[in-house]
Amino acid sequence: MSDGVVLTLDGLVIGYGEPLVEPISLTVEAGEIIAILGPSGIGKTTLIRTLAGLVRPLSGHFDMDLDGRGNLGYIPQRLGLVRHATVAHNVALGARCGVKWSKTMFQERKERTQDAMRTLGIEEKAKEPVRRLSGGQQRRVATARTLAQRPQLMLADEFLGELDQDNVDTVLSAVSGLVNNGTSVIMVEHHEDNVMDFATRIWELKDGRFLDASIEEWQSKSDLGEEE
Amino acid sequence: MKFRLLGIFSVLLILAWHTLDGLVEGDWGRLEGGLANLSIFFSESMWPPNWSVLEARSYPVCDEKIEFFCSVGYLGMMETLKIAFVSTILGFVGAICLSSLAARNLTPLYISIPIRVFLSAVRSLPSLIWAILFVIVIGFGPLSGVLAMTFYTVGYLGKLQYEVFEGMQNDPLEAGRAMGLSRPSIFAFIVIPENSNHLLSQLMFMFEYNVRHGTVIGIVGAGGIGYYISTYLKFLQYDKVFALLILIFVVVVLIDLLSLMVRSFVNEEGDVRKPTWLNMILRAKAKRNASANAEQSFSSNVD
Repeated sequence: MSDGVVLTLDGLVIGYGEPLVEPISLTVEAGEIIAILGPSGIGKTTLIRTLAGLVRPLSGHFDMDLDGRGNLGYIPQRLGLVRHATVAHNVALGARCGVKWSKTMFQERKERTQDAMRTLGIEEKAKEPVRRLSGGQQRRVATARTLAQRPQLMLADEFLGELDQDNVDTVLSAVSGLVNNGTSVIMVEHHEDNVMDFATRIWELKDGRFLDASIEEWQSKSDLGEEE
Repeated sequence: MKFRLLGIFSVLLILAWHTLDGLVEGDWGRLEGGLANLSIFFSESMWPPNWSVLEARSYPVCDEKIEFFCSVGYLGMMETLKIAFVSTILGFVGAICLSSLAARNLTPLYISIPIRVFLSAVRSLPSLIWAILFVIVIGFGPLSGVLAMTFYTVGYLGKLQYEVFEGMQNDPLEAGRAMGLSRPSIFAFIVIPENSNHLLSQLMFMFEYNVRHGTVIGIVGAGGIGYYISTYLKFLQYDKVFALLILIFVVVVLIDLLSLMVRSFVNEEGDVRKPTWLNMILRAKAKRNASANAEQSFSSNVD
């Protein structure tokens, strides 16, 4: 893999028994923000879960060039939070993955946890069990967990969900902070509008086909479609 | 649907009746006079309960200011409670280590299956048999009781725990795995906190269970109040046995209440402020005052 490439897909075929999309071959560079678009049930979540190592590819393979374990951030569709634990505990899980063993490990984990909670405005809820929070607040906790992890590659499955515009802006600005430090983001998003100003690249899954386009190409294609 | 269920239950009931009839070989005459026998036995041998079991024993001499603390009832019950407490804690720790390896969503099958077989084997012997085994191996006394109850607790609690772990939602586990948490970290920081309510509830249940069974294992010489029950039974002192049974009942009810209280703090419903007797009374009083005021203002308006 060349410098700056964090992910390489080589003839990757995803699905459960039957292939959902044509074989995918591409690379993802550090700092890229990729939005996966497409109708429901087309295989967006399967693609993210395959990249997260939770589903075996039907054929082909993918390589991640990350600095060891704990450098992959993942926000599943149902957020994957420990509902009976506190907000701080959940955010600290990210820091636990992201901070390697050292003398200052505990201090660093604590600082990262507090920073992440502060950035997403959930510091006051630190001691509350996650189950008591609203859906929007829970999404912010899941994002804070990844923020505290500071991964090289972040996978997120519809993590903007039912957030209102203010919350979408807060979450995306927090993720931008990660991207500025070199994190690549691959996110499934149902609402195209949420990511048009944010993503640098679009992967579209449609009728078993896979389209990879830069945001400019995608926008010009969309404009042409509207004109027609 | 209702009729089908009723039909199934009727068939099961008839089947159970036929099985029972086969077991007693149709000799139902045995039941004749059973109630009268019980009544005679209860009134002549058990009633009234002999509360001398709550007075100081004649030997050894009591050094306590309050005699109750030297009584058979107190000493026996305390020993039973101590055996139950120690064996519940040791058993819980043992069970949690094994159940983490037995849950199929946490460990590969080649590890989980042998652990499950081991837990089944430990559980298949009741605590009484474990007690007999340990009395044979290390002799009479509370240590045999502790070991017997610990082994049984590991087997019993281990199964309850791995079933709870297997029933938990998969997404926190998947998130932990994808993020790169190690297996022990996933267990310690995701599985245990997520299932803490169930674990606490099982712990309390097991303590109560061990107190009840602690009375039984004493009968085979493994310490606790059961030792005294066994002695009184041998000497046909049923009134003292009855007094000790009442004591056990009271303690079990108290533990049950304590368990209910502890669990209420961690339940989902624990988020809602629970009514207490005090605020219920105060609220009722406030309501009465409000209605009295309303009546007063109504009558003054009418006047």
